[in-house]
Amino acid sequence: MKGVVFNILEDMVTEKGGLMMWQKVIDKAGFGGGYTAVSTYNDDELFSIVGAVVEELDLPAESVISAFGTYMFGQLASRYPVFVDSCDDLFSFLESIDSVIHLEVRKLMTETNLPSIKCERIGDGQLVMDYRSARRLCVLAEGLIYGAAEHYNTPIKIEHPVCMHKGSDHCDMRVNITHE
Amino acid sequence: MSDEAELYRKAYEREREARKAAEQIVENHTRELYLQNQKLEASLKQLKEQQRVLVQNEKLAMLGTLAAGIAHEINNPMAFVHANLELLSDYLEPYQKLVALQREALKLPHGQQEAVAGKIAKLVADADLGFFEEELPELMEDTRDGLQRVLEIVANLRSFARAHTQERQPEDLVAGLQSTLKLLNSQFRTEVVLQQDLQPLPLVHCNLSELNQVFLNLLVNAGHAVEGSKGATISIATSAADDKVIIKIVDNGIGMSDEVKEQIFVPFFTTKPVGKGTGMGMSIAYGIVVDHGGEIEVESTEGEGTTFTITLPING
Repeated sequence: MKGVVFNILEDMVTEKGGLMMWQKVIDKAGFGGGYTAVSTYNDDELFSIVGAVVEELDLPAESVISAFGTYMFGQLASRYPVFVDSCDDLFSFLESIDSVIHLEVRKLMTETNLPSIKCERIGDGQLVMDYRSARRLCVLAEGLIYGAAEHYNTPIKIEHPVCMHKGSDHCDMRVNITHE
Repeated sequence: MSDEAELYRKAYEREREARKAAEQIVENHTRELYLQNQKLEASLKQLKEQQRVLVQNEKLAMLGTLAAGIAHEINNPMAFVHANLELLSDYLEPYQKLVALQREALKLPHGQQEAVAGKIAKLVADADLGFFEEELPELMEDTRDGLQRVLEIVANLRSFARAHTQERQPEDLVAGLQSTLKLLNSQFRTEVVLQQDLQPLPLVHCNLSELNQVFLNLLVNAGHAVEGSKGATISIATSAADDKVIIKIVDNGIGMSDEVKEQIFVPFFTTKPVGKGTGMGMSIAYGIVVDHGGEIEVESTEGEGTTFTITLPING
């Protein structure tokens, strides 16, 4: 997992609970805690820290991870505005993840283990995302999608009928544009 | 917050900003490196293609040099093939008459064959068919040999001129040298003594077409070096040692000065007058040998001669 994800997690935790909370969390997880954005670290390190955050906040893991995803979108968008600026709406952006964003990431960083993300539009207001990853971070992906929806001012509802956590080899996430 | 903590907080903020800036620099550099790499790969591809064209052009230029000699090589056997066939066609008519007479004789009853026998004897004498009968087997043999020689020369030529692929496989370098020598038969003046000590070699993993071009180049140069020398000798020797093979081409021609020797592998360098030779032969030869993981060395003494030693790994 790239260091930038750890940096963003640290930002989120320190925003909510100050330096103290982050210190607590990395002590609990048992790691040194200095993360460089361009380096690569063990996935397990991230999972341990997230686990410690969930415990510390005393909230359900799913909602913490989803919130992290939403927060992460905002951070990534401000670090790399070019990707959001080049897409006019949510669906085009989602479609650009695989063809544009991940392509650029692969150029910059050699050891990446990016998930496979394939989008297909179904009708006017629905897009289905096929998500495959050994890490099975579909909840994080959902959070990111909600974050993107916020950025593009497009209210959505995500259905998650097919899921790797339920034994499938991939996740199907249906993004429905709601009109509230 | 205490004063000290405040100091630390400020320091922490500064460090964070500095680190973020450093990370940005790293990312920018990485992107630049990636783009540079793309450009370099494209350049490399283009250079390799240009090199391929250069090598092919050099090969064709060399063929031009050899053309006169090869034409002579082909002309010689064709001359006597032609002469033999002329002779054969001269004797065609008497032979047809002979066959006709025999057919006539076989139709006649036994007693009357005497008359035809006389005609046959006269025909044989007049047309000197007896002589022809004796000579015919040798004539056929010579004609077949001559045509075989031409076929081989043409085959060697085609194989040499063909734009070769980049593939490498186990090849017999001695066979390669021999086919190259056939292309050179008329290149050397008749007085030039060609010594061959071609020990059998293990198969070498290589592009034989490319190596033949190297051998041809060196041999043609050797031929030029001995032009006008008395007792001109060019010798070729092959040997194997450990996992390498060694090919030595020696001439006792005019040799090279130290200055010339230093430059022979430099592209476009030539001691020949303008219009003769591209100056690329040796540099291409050098490139091919090194590409195969081998070495090419030259020893030379002005007025005495030159030795080229090519060493190639068996599993290049």
